[in-house]
Amino acid sequence: MAEAEVRPASRVTERDVRRAMWRHILTLQWSWNYERMQALGWLWSMLPILQKVHPDPESLKEAMRRNIAFYNTNPQIGSPLIFGAAVAMEEQGQGEVGDSLKVALMGPLAGIGDTIQAILLRPILAVVAASLAMAGSVAGPVIMILFGLAMIAVMPPQFWLGYRQGVGLVHQMAAGGAIERLTEAATVLGLTVIGGFIPSIMAGLKTPVKFVRSVTVGGQVTEKTIELQAVLDQILPYMIPVLVTAFAYWLLRGLRLSPAKTLLVLAVVAFVLSALHIL
Amino acid sequence: MEGYSIWVAVILAVWAYIAIVTMLGPGLWWHEPLISGLVTGLVVGDVGLGLQVGASLTLMSLGMHTYGGATIPDFMTGAILGTAFGALGGAGPEAGLAIAIPAALLMTQLDILGRAVTTVFIHGADAYLERGDLRGITRMHLWGHLPWGLSRAIPVFLAIWLGSGPVQAFMKWLPQWFMNGMKVTGAVLPALGFALLLAQLPVRRYWPFMVLGFVLFAYLKVPITGIALLAVALAALYGSLKGGEQHG
Repeated sequence: MAEAEVRPASRVTERDVRRAMWRHILTLQWSWNYERMQALGWLWSMLPILQKVHPDPESLKEAMRRNIAFYNTNPQIGSPLIFGAAVAMEEQGQGEVGDSLKVALMGPLAGIGDTIQAILLRPILAVVAASLAMAGSVAGPVIMILFGLAMIAVMPPQFWLGYRQGVGLVHQMAAGGAIERLTEAATVLGLTVIGGFIPSIMAGLKTPVKFVRSVTVGGQVTEKTIELQAVLDQILPYMIPVLVTAFAYWLLRGLRLSPAKTLLVLAVVAFVLSALHIL
Repeated sequence: MEGYSIWVAVILAVWAYIAIVTMLGPGLWWHEPLISGLVTGLVVGDVGLGLQVGASLTLMSLGMHTYGGATIPDFMTGAILGTAFGALGGAGPEAGLAIAIPAALLMTQLDILGRAVTTVFIHGADAYLERGDLRGITRMHLWGHLPWGLSRAIPVFLAIWLGSGPVQAFMKWLPQWFMNGMKVTGAVLPALGFALLLAQLPVRRYWPFMVLGFVLFAYLKVPITGIALLAVALAALYGSLKGGEQHG
């Protein structure tokens, strides 16, 4: 097999690869946290591979440090694919390439995966299942249970696809730009979808502020109400969701706050604005 | 019936624990309110009520998803408590929902608390990593689900064990400004998920695509599915056009 040639000194067995895959599928988010999100689950899943590739403790530590960096994407649609490719690259001592692939793909695939799951599949299924349940049929929740199982069934094939492509990608790298092109396409896709997501997901953010003025028109006093939201909509629809997202982005990138601190600031701002009846 | 035996409280608390941890991996979707409504209905002996409460909460949760780690109302816990209290003395689905909805909103607090506590485990893992202690890293990861599971199991146990009186009294005791603040916070938090995603992407170079997606939704009212399809076409076109430049 051609693959055998590109696996030089590594003692990684198929059993190690399977173990990594199942760790990833079964426990990825168990240690999810605001700071680095799925990072620890990613590292723990990768450990069976890293231990074999890096027998030397110092080089193992170095590899582990790389693998505990921030990671977050859709765990069911997307993550097994990314992880499969990264496993293949770690196995061939190309971990750094795997890292950049991971960073480049996690955002777009989170967008794609979340779209497929939460915008396409789940709402359609939920409406069907809920209406069946409303009519008293147990078929409603049963459909949901089957849906959950179907989501797991799509995970191993993604992993193996990523794993095989990951091996291929390392070869194509010298030939030129495969990863860059893939990353570029994924970025275009991800950002376009996010652009639509920001207003649609946060459409509920509106201001109830009204200005009531007594105006005298032709000798008659009438009350005139100006709704701030209508004015904002004329300037830019969904202005509040856009501003809030920009504010959160500025806290993260501009002020370099951690996700946990950003969350705290957003919550405080939300409480203050709600107490002032601005939101 | 005035209340439940302690065993009903224990069983439902264990279910809440399992349901939230399977959501973290492998994602069985047992945290769906419809499934938790059915399970609770089976435990308390009123499946029909469980289906009704679960279905109502499912319809309320349409379009809600934990993007990038945002917190949404916990309809799973809401379904458990709503079904359990709705079945008490034949109180019915309306009474169940009257408990379920505020409980789901209130649980966002505990969700945030649970998620915040898990930071301990990543810092622990960092320390074990530097010592080269792989078992330590494994422990940190596998124990990570404790705050998640307990943040659901403890309130479910207490609420069902104590009964509906104290729960309703507690809900009434909560001031209105707090509930409003929670609601606005819930609406604002998806922004954190988007910002986290954007921070990972080369926004400076590719921002026009984001503007395009925004215009499609905000001005042209294209549904998200349509935007996603167009985005696939754009990505393919962009790739082939760039490829053409290089070869030409």
